[in-house]
Amino acid sequence: MTISLAVPDILVARAKSGDLEALEALYRAFETPVYNLALRVLRRPEDAEDVLQDTFLEVVRSIKQYRGEGHLWGWIRQIATSKALMRIRQDRVRETEELHEESAVGAGNVGGAGEMRGTEGMSPGAVPAQIDLERAFERLSETSRAVVWLHDVEGYTHEEIAEQMGKTVSFSKSQLARAHVRLRRMLDEGVAR
Amino acid sequence: MMHCTMDDVLALAAGEGSAWARQHVAGCPACRAELEALYQRVAQLKALPVRRPARDRWPAVRNAVVAERRRRRERWGVSGLAAAAVLAGLLVFRPFWTKPVDAAELARVKEQSATLEQQLQRYDPNGRVTSGRSAALAAALEDRIAVIDGELAQLGPAQAQARPADLVTLWQQRVELMEQLVSVHVTRAAYVGL
Ligand SMILES: [Zn+2]
Repeated sequence: MTISLAVPDILVARAKSGDLEALEALYRAFETPVYNLALRVLRRPEDAEDVLQDTFLEVVRSIKQYRGEGHLWGWIRQIATSKALMRIRQDRVRETEELHEESAVGAGNVGGAGEMRGTEGMSPGAVPAQIDLERAFERLSETSRAVVWLHDVEGYTHEEIAEQMGKTVSFSKSQLARAHVRLRRMLDEGVAR
Repeated sequence: MMHCTMDDVLALAAGEGSAWARQHVAGCPACRAELEALYQRVAQLKALPVRRPARDRWPAVRNAVVAERRRRRERWGVSGLAAAAVLAGLLVFRPFWTKPVDAAELARVKEQSATLEQQLQRYDPNGRVTSGRSAALAAALEDRIAVIDGELAQLGPAQAQARPADLVTLWQQRVELMEQLVSVHVTRAAYVGL
């Protein structure tokens, strides 16, 4: 996904002065990329919506501090990323619980409920290989999804990911490598299907 | 034969492969296929459809922001009086570059603003049923007041001294908006039979 959202300077200036109409226009311009990023990492729509809300609350509160260095999307994306990562940290317990649930439901399941869950929301018209990859990607852990998405799709460097996650560069690199090994294996074995 | 690890392949894709890996991949079809598969996975991830939120979260953001501003304004209303006194003194004692009338006017509008603020506090915005139209009108007025508060906050003491007329104008606008807001609430109160 490539984002080339240019926002008029005048709109940013109005938003900085606290104008709610301008702030809403910014929300409308960026709600989809923010939501999409959060959803890809967190997977649950409600969580992604919460991140969307938290992100814009912070955008509204701190847009006065935005000095216009870099693209506005870069600044907003930074906030969205940190909100999503914060949620991963908070949800670690929940994620463990959910994995248990999933393995119980998914055991020996070929075309039942697991299939349903996997197919809903998959893009109609997407090529099969892409659907397989989307499913395989969704089976990664939240942390792995975050690293893969930020690095491979959003174009973050390992240094940036490490900084955002409060981890080392080698953590980011090894997470990415492990995630790709898993992705490749799932695709080879048709696990995602 | 030793092949590239995923770390090697990722480094190669990033243009940071070791000399060994670069040499190896040139002569090894399996590792070249691995690198190609990585490129494809990344390309497919990038091409995944963009998902859109099912619900609109802007109203929630907006309500939180408006509530925050209202709380801030209430504090501002109290401290505004004290600040007005200080500023009035400042302006009166520096008559060479400012008109004293500004100071008096400033103090007057600030006091007016504070009185209106107190009046407004009697109308609990969430406490009673209201027509959608007057609620929307009140919200619009509150937004405009918030914008002015933002501008006032941005006018630091130094600029405020340099541009007393601007300061007075802003406060006058604020009072006007607040008068409208009070009248919306009064109408509303009458409407619900208070
Ligand atoms: Zn090889």
